Amino acid sequence: MIIKHQEKIASPEIIQRQYEALGYICSPSVATAIYLACHLQKPILIEGPPGVGKTELAKITAAYLNAPLIRMQCYEGLDESKALYEWKYGKQLLYTQVLKEQLGDVLRGARGLDESIARLHDFGDIFYSQDFLEPRPLLQALQSEDGAVLLIDEIDKADQEFEAFLLELLSDYQVSIPEIGTVKAKSTPIVMLTSNNTRELGDALKRRCLHLYIPFPDAALESRILATQVEGLETQLREQIVALIGELRNMPLKKSPAVSETIDWARALLLLNVETLDPHWVKETLNLLLKFQDDIELVEPEIVALLKRVS
Amino acid sequence: MRFVADFIGALREAGLPVSPAESLDALNAIKLLGVENRITTKTVLALTLVKRNTDQVIYDELFDLYFTGVEKVKQADSDKLAPDEPDTESEASIGEHEQASRADEFTASSALGQSLSQKLDMRLAITQAAMAENLSSIVFFTQKNHFAYKIMQRLGDEALSTEIRAEAHSPAQKKSQHELIEYRTRLLEQVKDYVEQQYLIFARHKGTKFREDHLQQAKLSQVEHVDYALMQRLVQRSARKLAAQHSRRRLTRKRGLLDVRKTIAANAAFDGALFHTRWKATRVERPKIIAICDVSGSVSRVARFLLLFLYSLQDVMPKVRSFVFASEMIEVTKLLEQENIELALEEIMQRWGGLSTDYGKALADFQMQALASIDKKTTVIMLGDARNNQGDGRTDIWQKVFRQSKRVLWLNPEQRNSWDSGDSIMSQYSPWCSSVEPCRNLKDIEGIFNRLLKYS
Repeated sequence: MIIKHQEKIASPEIIQRQYEALGYICSPSVATAIYLACHLQKPILIEGPPGVGKTELAKITAAYLNAPLIRMQCYEGLDESKALYEWKYGKQLLYTQVLKEQLGDVLRGARGLDESIARLHDFGDIFYSQDFLEPRPLLQALQSEDGAVLLIDEIDKADQEFEAFLLELLSDYQVSIPEIGTVKAKSTPIVMLTSNNTRELGDALKRRCLHLYIPFPDAALESRILATQVEGLETQLREQIVALIGELRNMPLKKSPAVSETIDWARALLLLNVETLDPHWVKETLNLLLKFQDDIELVEPEIVALLKRVS
Repeated sequence: MRFVADFIGALREAGLPVSPAESLDALNAIKLLGVENRITTKTVLALTLVKRNTDQVIYDELFDLYFTGVEKVKQADSDKLAPDEPDTESEASIGEHEQASRADEFTASSALGQSLSQKLDMRLAITQAAMAENLSSIVFFTQKNHFAYKIMQRLGDEALSTEIRAEAHSPAQKKSQHELIEYRTRLLEQVKDYVEQQYLIFARHKGTKFREDHLQQAKLSQVEHVDYALMQRLVQRSARKLAAQHSRRRLTRKRGLLDVRKTIAANAAFDGALFHTRWKATRVERPKIIAICDVSGSVSRVARFLLLFLYSLQDVMPKVRSFVFASEMIEVTKLLEQENIELALEEIMQRWGGLSTDYGKALADFQMQALASIDKKTTVIMLGDARNNQGDGRTDIWQKVFRQSKRVLWLNPEQRNSWDSGDSIMSQYSPWCSSVEPCRNLKDIEGIFNRLLKYS
């Protein structure tokens, strides 16, 4: 992709600092991954528990590089007509009707079948051509002039066949359309794939990508994320929240609270004018953090003990 | 660059599947960011080489081991180069040597002795010697001393030893010999440390690989308790492989007949020309499985791994009911559905394992509990040696099971020629089985399930 300001990606440190200015706090390994993706022109496969900012990373990258973000959400049954291209059937139909009317003009005066066919050949066939191609996200990303950030979200939800279909795009930045031929990228897009690990991805796919694992952030990082995301949060409360979340993640829950849930919770507490964590408010707002009734039932009796450990 | 390549070699030995393409990526990335900063290097190599989260731990461990070594060598390298060029240094030392002998002070004559007495840093030399001896091929810990010896030889130990053992002509020589002995001991320590470190990097995981290969073939009834953890990992791995293969096949079968009504509706916009096709989805019948395992003494270990395999296949075979028996038939489906299957298996084996077998009673129990739920979609898997302690085998029940079900598989943990010997009544049951197969090692289990999934 054409990056207009090379100095923006001059080193991982710059990327990390600039992302922070844009409100995305990231660890050095994330910044290094972005740096390598830009310079080596390789796709990044981002894995990690839900809610640690995988999708957000793609959005912020697009914003930072002033590139359009093209997003493709994967799901079971996604196929190439939804991901890559589709023919504009309606227009093709109209075209054949126009053709039928003009056929008389084209063939007028032709002697014998051979000449008619020769003339038909000369007429040119645009039935399957760029004019009737409806680009879907993948093709859009390849066709954009100045490159784009292509986000293939939750690739693990798509079928294995689709994964195989992506391989050509990921390694050579081109796709094959049987009727037309190979379409090469006008300018290589930055590709990011995210996965929640509901299914093990194929080795072939992994081999073509840089592999970035974003874990839950440590306490210091999470505290900084909260500071940028939730304005007006007192330092003391922030530290308490982060510590409590840390404790919760150590418990055997069905779903540990993610960063996005921490932010929601902090916002809620701010809205409720809570100054310091107390058992009453924690109990009332627990459903923002924990999404399973079993988890809530597990944590509720522990709240007092947890709070004691935190403060 | 050389050490990155070596490190990749070490990763491969440890079981990480690093492809040449990935190695190239790693080298390109290293070229961009350099190797000066250890943390950056670690991230860069992790990004390009480690593609499975389970490999992360091995990677971290190896990286720390390996690069501590590399950094030491590099430091030694720069220390050595810092004062002056190595060539002039050795010339100088020869000059020194001549002067010294004239001054009647004794200096070592062997090359190794000289460098030792000049207190040169030997680390670089050790690394080079190790490379020449191909230390990275080390497999067993018993080879450590052998390699240490070889490295010492290459460093020039023979000349040094001769010199140490030589008859002393003067007190100065005697003193020098004593010093050399001390130096040599220290050098040997250094070499041994180095070999130990390299062994940790290259061989420990190689050992695991050896054991894994061995366990694949080993008789399940002979697997020792210490190997359970490793065995469980192996079982789960092959189950995952099967699940991946067969989940894919199922998807392609989903499409059924053309749905004419929906197709016409979908194409109304195109003047009735049929561009889009709509298909009726056929309902995918996942195999319904009932597993019955004999958990009496001899069979219990095999039962353990069979059940583990079955439950690691849940992605493709979600409907499994399992029973265990010695004399009574007990349904353990609920127990096995809990989070930690290893604990569940342990509990089953402790509560019901090891009792004496009574097929007649067990089958009678089974008839009461589950015979009604067997239908034409059910596959029944029985694991047992058919050793019935001379009792009535109740083959009539087994016949009913066979008639009602889609298929009956009998897995026998004994080899074919010991069937029907002693109290085994295999031949009474085998007419009422779709197939009877020996099930002795992990490979057998994998093959059996592979066929089961393929033809269901």
